[in-house]
Amino acid sequence: MSATTESIPLLSPDLLAKLERLELVSRKVFRGRMKGERRSKRKGQSVEFADFRNYVAGDDLRLIDWNLYARLDQLFLKLFQEEEDLHVYALIDCSESMNFGTPTKYHVAKQMAAALGYIGLCRADRVSVQALGDQGRRAPVLRGRSGLWKMLQYLESLESGDNVSLHDAVKDFSLRNSGTGVVVLITDLMDKSGYEAALRMLVGRRMDVYVMHILSPEEIDPPIRGDRRLIDSEDGDETEITINNYVLERYKLTLQSFLGSVKHFCSRRSIAYLPVRTDQPVDDVMTRYLRKRGVVR
Amino acid sequence: MNWISTLLPWQWALFAAVPIGIILLYFLKLRREPVEIPSTYLWSRTVEDLHVNSLFQRIRQNLLLFLQLLAVVLAAFALLRPGVQGEATSQGRKVFLLDASASMMATDAGEERNRFELARKMIREQIDAMQERETAMLVTFSDRAEVLQSFTSDRGRLRSALERAQVTNRPTDIIGALEAADGLANPRRSSTTGDENDVQVADPMPADLLIYSDGGFRDVSDFNVGNLVPTYLKVGSGQSRNVAITAFSADRNVEKPGDAQAFATIVNFGTGAETFNISLYVDGAWRESESLTLAPGEESGLTFSLAGQEDAASLEMRLESPGSGASRDQLFDDDLTIDNFAYAGLRPLRTVSVLVVTDGNKPLEIGLTTESAAKICIADFQSPSYLETPEYQARAEAGLDDLILYDRCRPKNLPSTNTFFVGALPSDEWSWASEPGQTILVDVDRTHPMMQYLELFSLLIFEGRSVKGPTGTRELVGADNGTVLALAPRDGYQDLVLGFEIVTTGEDGTPQTNTNWYAERSWPVFLLNVLRHLAGAADATAAPSFLPGDTVRLRVESQIEAVDISRGSGTPESIRTGNSGSVEFVDSEMPGSYRVTAGEKLVDLFSINLFSRLESQIQPRETFELGYETIETAGMIETRKEYWRWLLGAVLLILAVEWWLYNRRIA
Repeated sequence: MSATTESIPLLSPDLLAKLERLELVSRKVFRGRMKGERRSKRKGQSVEFADFRNYVAGDDLRLIDWNLYARLDQLFLKLFQEEEDLHVYALIDCSESMNFGTPTKYHVAKQMAAALGYIGLCRADRVSVQALGDQGRRAPVLRGRSGLWKMLQYLESLESGDNVSLHDAVKDFSLRNSGTGVVVLITDLMDKSGYEAALRMLVGRRMDVYVMHILSPEEIDPPIRGDRRLIDSEDGDETEITINNYVLERYKLTLQSFLGSVKHFCSRRSIAYLPVRTDQPVDDVMTRYLRKRGVVR
Repeated sequence: MNWISTLLPWQWALFAAVPIGIILLYFLKLRREPVEIPSTYLWSRTVEDLHVNSLFQRIRQNLLLFLQLLAVVLAAFALLRPGVQGEATSQGRKVFLLDASASMMATDAGEERNRFELARKMIREQIDAMQERETAMLVTFSDRAEVLQSFTSDRGRLRSALERAQVTNRPTDIIGALEAADGLANPRRSSTTGDENDVQVADPMPADLLIYSDGGFRDVSDFNVGNLVPTYLKVGSGQSRNVAITAFSADRNVEKPGDAQAFATIVNFGTGAETFNISLYVDGAWRESESLTLAPGEESGLTFSLAGQEDAASLEMRLESPGSGASRDQLFDDDLTIDNFAYAGLRPLRTVSVLVVTDGNKPLEIGLTTESAAKICIADFQSPSYLETPEYQARAEAGLDDLILYDRCRPKNLPSTNTFFVGALPSDEWSWASEPGQTILVDVDRTHPMMQYLELFSLLIFEGRSVKGPTGTRELVGADNGTVLALAPRDGYQDLVLGFEIVTTGEDGTPQTNTNWYAERSWPVFLLNVLRHLAGAADATAAPSFLPGDTVRLRVESQIEAVDISRGSGTPESIRTGNSGSVEFVDSEMPGSYRVTAGEKLVDLFSINLFSRLESQIQPRETFELGYETIETAGMIETRKEYWRWLLGAVLLILAVEWWLYNRRIA
């Protein structure tokens, strides 16, 4: 972690301009709370035709298709597709393990969350960018572009080191937010108690879950060698190890196996798994990588 | 398999501390450096994987320790010098006879610089392979033997003695070396054989006699090997190239002392035909060259003429590579260089001492003091009364003068030197053969050196008589009345008698001329001839040649106190002359022309040459006779097979593997 990486603005003006043209893709159709720009399960008022149905007493006379009545002498109602808003949640892992790498995984996570949030705001979605843990409780729920500065303010105010397990944090989030929608979980999944329970909980709540797995190059190819005592940044756990090429190969195999298991777990539960390296530019991730993976369009 | 420890006990104790140190270092290995990482989640799983095959891991952990200890153990084995003795010596004593003669400088020795170095290497291997209980001595031999190291089991002293050994330019004589070895192995008895009281003065000490030589010496017949077990180790290849100058000398022409001739004999001792140039250098300047091709074993003689060489000269003959231009001066490249050069000297015409006993003879005085005569003659003029003095007696008996000229007088006893009588007879053996009268010359013996260049028929002789000498008298000039100039031998000396006076004394005591010879051109020439050939100024003009290492004995004029002897342009060595002008020079190792000077004056010349066919014949002999035995070459002695090099190589390999493993683990 360094001051320089932290001083980089979360979103650059160029990126903002690019984000405005993007839209979050929800693989599920949810019922929104307010009228928005997204197709809803409900029929309602819009310009997009949906269906006809027989008139029953009490229906709004304004919806009767008078042309059909003239031809068939029967009353039909013309139904239109309702357009509603989408709930977008971006959850940021604030544990100490996120505070590594150059730039830090935490900073990249905040950048990702801000970008996704801004896309949602531009599309009049109901956006809530929040940290996992206690800091999530004060997260604002935003709608419209004007919410950008509030969102950024919140993100800026977040501090790392909130070492709460993924499962507990997701459970807390689920209790606080009863609605459905798109959840983007931005985390490094480095939780010794496991990530599976947390993801299962989100899927169980019929959320459209995206997991952005943030990994730093230092984790993919550790630069450390020799006789070392490794200290866990979260729980202070120590592991004595002599790191040589053989051990390093073993570590890489373990990492690949871990990533494979996460991918497998996610694909079985229709969770979109998106591994992101911190040395990838945010610009590139948002405009190319996520578009390619079908997260945005 | 046997072992030779190379370390002393305290050094071994020190060495034993090394593995202990290595193990201690493993116990006290460095603490692990703490590093904070995001999560040990994945590392723990990795370590768990590693723990699955923990035995293998433990071996991996200790592999470096094992390798290091193995390296130390192997190093200890290497220091113990394990080996297998190739040929066990039965005697326990060795006598190394190392040939240090000139032929050992031949370069046909493979990778070594010359045969001597090869032989030295062979001996060094033998010394290295010596057991603790074995002793050895080292003797070098050229024309004399030198015991460089007497019997010792200290290999260090033997090695340093071997380092001191130097190859020489000398010929070979193995007898001295054999006798040195013989003295130890076959001790003499205290008295004559057969004596009842005869006792052995010392126990015989049988020894291996290892002769490292090319066999360039004469067979030794009068030697009994006794308890010595001779082994001849031939040094040198059978395919050698050598062309040698085996003889070179120069001498003045007896007829014309100003001219000289150089003679050389060149032999091809190699196994192939050789083409080369022979160049003659006079005082360092090239004079003449000749090209020559010699088949193997062929010999050729050459003669070079040196006209107008009146002064002393140092001559050098070189074998040069054939060719022209820049390659012309390149020396001929064969296996032995020393015999590609030969040196000779032409002595200067000697200065002779002449005693002139006369009542006054101006023509004689002028004739002996001309510029040419003064160069070669110191004339001492005395009156006839001098003949009565003891000084003259001593002088005449000792023969200090090269010539005594008696003008119209005769001594009581003839001196121990050559004489020239003018108008007088030497002794009673001589007699006048005619009455005095006008004499007309009719015959001149021009074949005699003293008569050359003389034109005498225009002489006027007012009064002369013919002479008759003893048996063996040779007429040099004949006149109408008989012989007027005769030369006769006398006990190794010569007497020259002239039958007419040059100057006579008138009745009033005034000198008068008896002939016009003094006014002729032939007069000084005649006197010069007399000085050269009768006084001996032109004698022995060829400088002597000595072998390298010989003591050079010279005789110079007795009045010279010290002489400087220098080789070429080298620093002169000053030597004081001994009794009656004898000079001994011992620093004669280097071949070359040597000049003997007294002050600025050149006194003598001599040269050092290796004119030895035995040395130049560099094809090594396969056998030679030693006493009643024929000694055949043993080729190479099988030396002890040593394994320490292999062990050392293994140590290095193990260290390399250890280093590689360490880097794989750490880097």
